[in-house]
Amino acid sequence: MTAASSAEDNVLVIGAGMAGIEASLTLAEAGAKVYLVEREPLFGGKTIKYEEVFANMECSTCMAAPKQQEVLQNDRIELMTLSEVREVKGEAGDFTVGVHRKARYVDAEACIGCNACFDPCPVSLPNEFEENLGERKAIYLPCPGALPNVPSIDTERCVRFTENKECTLCQEACMFEAIDFNQKDEDVELKVSGIIVATGSDLIDSSQLKELGYSGEGNVYTALELERLYASNGPTEGTIQLRDGRTPSSAAIVHCAGRKDTGYCSAVCCMYSLKFVHYLKDKLPDTTVHEFYTDMCIPGKKYQEFHDRMKDKVNLVRYDELSVSPNGGSVGISYKSGAGTNEKLDVDMLILAPAMVPSRGAEELAGMLGIEQGGRGFFGSSTGSPAESGKGGIYVAGCAQGPKDIGQSVAQAGAAVGRFLSAASRGFSGE
Amino acid sequence: MGEEFKPRIVAFLCNWCSYAGADVAGGSKLEMPPTLTPIKVMCSSRVDPVMVTLAFLRGADGVLIAGCHPGDCHYDKGNYYARRRFAVLKTIFETLDLEPERLRLSWVSASEGQRYAEVVREFSAKIAELGPNPRRRQPAGIKES
Amino acid sequence: MEKRIGVYVCECGPNISEALDIDRVVEAVSGMDGVVVADRYKLLCAGAGQQHLVDQIKEHDLTHLVVAACSPKEHESTFMSVCEKAGINPYMFQMANIREQVAWVTPDKEQATERAIRHVRAAVGRVIRHTPLATREIECNPDVLVIGGGIAGLSSAALLAGPERKVYLVEKEPALGGAVKGYEKLFPGMRSGSELVQRYQAQVEANDNITVLTGTTVKSILGFLGNFEIAVENGQGEGQEFMVGAVVAALGMKEDTESLGEYGYGEIDDVYTALEVEAMNLEGRLALKNGDAPKSVGIIHCVGREHSEYCSSVCCMAGMKIGRYLKDKLGDVKVTGFYRDLCVPGCDAEQFYRETRDAGMEFVRVGRVEVHDSGNGIVLKCGTAEGAVKEEKVDMVVLLPSVQAAEDVGALAEMLSLPLGPHGFMIEEHEKLAPVNTSMEGVYLAGGVTGPGTAEQTLSQSEAAAGRILAGLVPGRKLETEARVSEIRADLCAGCRTCLTVCCYGAIDYDPMKGICVVNEVLCRGCGNCASACPSGAASHRHFTSNQIYREMAEILK
Repeated sequence: MTAASSAEDNVLVIGAGMAGIEASLTLAEAGAKVYLVEREPLFGGKTIKYEEVFANMECSTCMAAPKQQEVLQNDRIELMTLSEVREVKGEAGDFTVGVHRKARYVDAEACIGCNACFDPCPVSLPNEFEENLGERKAIYLPCPGALPNVPSIDTERCVRFTENKECTLCQEACMFEAIDFNQKDEDVELKVSGIIVATGSDLIDSSQLKELGYSGEGNVYTALELERLYASNGPTEGTIQLRDGRTPSSAAIVHCAGRKDTGYCSAVCCMYSLKFVHYLKDKLPDTTVHEFYTDMCIPGKKYQEFHDRMKDKVNLVRYDELSVSPNGGSVGISYKSGAGTNEKLDVDMLILAPAMVPSRGAEELAGMLGIEQGGRGFFGSSTGSPAESGKGGIYVAGCAQGPKDIGQSVAQAGAAVGRFLSAASRGFSGE
Repeated sequence: MGEEFKPRIVAFLCNWCSYAGADVAGGSKLEMPPTLTPIKVMCSSRVDPVMVTLAFLRGADGVLIAGCHPGDCHYDKGNYYARRRFAVLKTIFETLDLEPERLRLSWVSASEGQRYAEVVREFSAKIAELGPNPRRRQPAGIKES
Repeated sequence: MEKRIGVYVCECGPNISEALDIDRVVEAVSGMDGVVVADRYKLLCAGAGQQHLVDQIKEHDLTHLVVAACSPKEHESTFMSVCEKAGINPYMFQMANIREQVAWVTPDKEQATERAIRHVRAAVGRVIRHTPLATREIECNPDVLVIGGGIAGLSSAALLAGPERKVYLVEKEPALGGAVKGYEKLFPGMRSGSELVQRYQAQVEANDNITVLTGTTVKSILGFLGNFEIAVENGQGEGQEFMVGAVVAALGMKEDTESLGEYGYGEIDDVYTALEVEAMNLEGRLALKNGDAPKSVGIIHCVGREHSEYCSSVCCMAGMKIGRYLKDKLGDVKVTGFYRDLCVPGCDAEQFYRETRDAGMEFVRVGRVEVHDSGNGIVLKCGTAEGAVKEEKVDMVVLLPSVQAAEDVGALAEMLSLPLGPHGFMIEEHEKLAPVNTSMEGVYLAGGVTGPGTAEQTLSQSEAAAGRILAGLVPGRKLETEARVSEIRADLCAGCRTCLTVCCYGAIDYDPMKGICVVNEVLCRGCGNCASACPSGAASHRHFTSNQIYREMAEILK
């Protein structure tokens, strides 16, 4: 592939988390024109929800932000947020992809990111980015520091759309005439020679794990909820407190939530659970922290060191079976220890490490692309290289292919680009 | 006499972490005393002892150097060098007839708007407490090329 | 040349215009040396605002531009482009942040105005010392040296090589294939290891653009990205030299033998390492020393982990794979895995574990295991989870030792002047953002050399290294340097090499003929550390020179 960017050198990257970002930047460097399609109004994937990442507790947003800025400033990358792939036709070297772009209703060129439009909006609702721990308006930015730094209007909540009301409160508050109700959703057709699928993953719905007591209202939390509580740009600006406002004096983290349902190990939970010990001890040094695990999965040259540093700050308990039930204001844990004895423990706060599952919509996307989903729903063929999807011209990267940490996701994104560039230079023969 | 002491603090902020953190503090509209003016450098390792000394000789009441947290430096180990230079400089502060507290080194990450604001407020209060730079004089005699 | 500075203060809507008195700011800078025009404008970042600046630059024949507005992190590149469009060098520009760092954080209008004046005066004082900067272009060689002919090296070479890019694949053994060719099967899918190697090897051997040099080692690597000089030597002492643009280090891994003796290895018969059993399996002789088939085998996990202090990632699965070999080939044999924590991450590994249990392998969680020669066979003594001590008689013991980087990794690291990590692996530039790069641009890592990992992880890395090279080292395209790099004045340099020692990127070279240090602009990342360290002021950081910073400081302290 030469450095010239001709029409054939277009590539579609689906998903703008760390893997998608890495793939896009490397492709752009190669001279390709990249369409980076992201369904959320902001980009950065799951990584930007964390305050710190293991094992060196590096500031997650500081790590991601320069990369995000590079994407935004790169002329060859067209970031399409609020967009989803609807149709894929063609083959390696010549795909035609239909992308549905939802209107933002805010002019990105005119908006200066002052946030004045939020206050007057009459509609308030739980903020999904904040795992429903905070609120947002119908016109909103998912979090402080979200990129692109432009609000969007949620048409499922804004009264102009749900009740046909002529409400113009946000528009009136905007000094830059950036709010444009005339914008429309559009369907665009992209012609690309290759597709990289980097759609990431979700957590299993913890409310389905009946014996673990999660309701979204009590003192049992999911990992992402704790991330948002600890985040300095989160709903509590980093204060860890229970839903009823109390500060927990004891906490327990439960590994492998949902593992029996999914039948695989989600690879990153042992490490982030240890990270949670660091979080809890950082904000609440006097809190007693227990960690319930089945096997300590800390592979690689860097992870055990982190475990060894954390292990004296936490009561590590190996368990066989475990169930949770509310116990007055506390959370009651009944478990069978690794040694076989039956035990009970009450704590103020329980945090689940839920299984990682394929991203919402993976099945439809697999169908559209014509690629395999393995038995667990993740993409990719089990023959050959991990970045292969099984279909020529289409590559997979990151957690879309299976649970893994950020470093492995970024490496795999590089592999997807490597395979694409190599195949493209050979005219996709043999794909 | 009678004029209130308005401290003048120079802050060296690194492009990747502390300057970004200062911007986040701004984005969050966190009030800070107007005593501090930033100078952006790419890395806290760019700040050399001569620069800092000159700031004080020119009448700065305080100097703040802020970089990425240890281990997070965008340029691998730059902030470790900054830390070492700063430590050495502090040891010779007495010879300058300056209180060592007038020089501060802080780590602020790109998302720590709140922390940046706290550092600025605390440091400003400290400098206000210490009073004007005893060496404050007209900036004559410093040759520039 | 006459300096003609234009200063423009952005209102940013009410954000700046209502927070401070812009007119006073404009007035305060109008009288400064070199300022020929100072004005305010509604919104400079918008299309109309940018055009306004272009027009102003042309109308007033400006040589320097100062914009007082939001943070440079928002719009510095926007206004640098404006400069370019208007025909002035984009580095003759400085931005004063009077929004995030003044208007938004100073509620008192008077104080905010004073503060803004200080910021803008500082920007003017600084910009007057700016010099035009340019990036430079350097020729580069797109060819690649791949060190190591295992699956990492083979897969990387296969992706990289093409008519315009030669790959030199250097392998010290007489044959290609590395460790994986020695595995009958690979987990978790129990696919053939040799077939996987064969597939890549066939691609490599069929590719005319790949020069395979077996029985060969690398003797020296000099130079830098786009311009490496490589010297190799074969077993007969014959040397070759060639130029490449990038290097992929794929040396592989080896078993850590240090702790094996603690488990009776070398003393007690029929205690083997995993790799030895793989070899025995391939040769069709899974048998005891005396030729009999074992009736009971104990597989011990985490051998040497107390010393290595890390988890080697692959051993749990390797142990299961060996268990499957034994069950498949020998049928009636008791196979027990003695493990501490079962490490089976990812969507397929746990199923592999379940299938292995279904095949009849047993697993016992233990603490430390001791291997004893009872005189009548081997006895394993282990502490169990319930706190008891369990004894198990076995005929054969398979040890799963820690995985380390290959033998020659130390020599390679020294050749490249790269440090090794605390566990003897090569260090990636950034654990998450740059897992296959090193701090030396153009040198990449894949597989065992950078850490223990599965074949799948290795392939991700080797193909990612190829991806980076395919994207960054394009035949016919020159390498562009960053403009804001360091430089060293030859006439002031004393050759003390302090700068060299503080540079984290190996971007400074010492020229022994001239006795001075020289900055490699391709490798320099522009941090300024050397400029700080230099005792004579010979080293300076372009766009962040001491003069520029002093002028900025002087205005702040007036």
